[in-house]
Amino acid sequence: MKIAAEIQARLAFLVRVVEKEIEHLDYADQQVFSSSFNRTSIENLAQTPEYALKIEAFSSRFCRLQDTLGDKLLPALLAALGEFPKALLVNLDKAEKYGWLTSAEQWIALRQLRNRMIHEYIDDPDIFYSALVAAHNNLSLIKDFAGYLNKQVAELLSEES
Amino acid sequence: MRLTKNEIKVIKETITEVFGTEAVVRLFGSRVDDAAKGGDIDLLVTLSSPTNQPVEKMIKAEAKIIYRLGNERKIDLLLDAPNLNQQQIHRIAREQGVLL
Repeated sequence: MKIAAEIQARLAFLVRVVEKEIEHLDYADQQVFSSSFNRTSIENLAQTPEYALKIEAFSSRFCRLQDTLGDKLLPALLAALGEFPKALLVNLDKAEKYGWLTSAEQWIALRQLRNRMIHEYIDDPDIFYSALVAAHNNLSLIKDFAGYLNKQVAELLSEES
Repeated sequence: MRLTKNEIKVIKETITEVFGTEAVVRLFGSRVDDAAKGGDIDLLVTLSSPTNQPVEKMIKAEAKIIYRLGNERKIDLLLDAPNLNQQQIHRIAREQGVLL
């Protein structure tokens, strides 16, 4: 299959972005979910602005990686494989069918976390704490998906070269 | 109330599946208003007993509803349980909400 040079360049670029975003997310994850992470530390965030900053970095990096994978890399890869552009749910179903994503439904569930990880908006520390735990516990779903997409892109580009 | 019969069925079945049969679900927000158009589907789920990992369950239920309705409609679920903080929004949702 002949893929246009600009599409190849775009895919290669997105793979590099994803790799960097994972690295930065992992760093923020280690910073947040250290021994000091617990329900009380979340309740006292107003007194620990440095820690609040780390949590904000984790939340925004988590959401950004999801956006890059689901809204950019996945559609770009499907397009390069000759698929017509479709809505996110259809693309995710396809990714699940191809074995790149464990669960499309769980991916959507993780997208629903985003508004629950912005502590300025959340009056309820229980909800904020629980949202952060959910994001941390599900990092592997996102990283595994990234791994599969990057592998697909690498295979596709190696066929072209 | 602006929800189709199918939407109500999907919502109620999903809430029971994720939170159990004791869960009560109410619709609140703009979808209660028959004159309004579009808008998010705001749901208040009330539990009579405490729940662990509330957000895991909330996002699971939201994702199932989104999937089962087959579109990317915005679903926003608010959870009310004895072990969770009571916010003003819970009171408003309870007062204005329509039982599904």
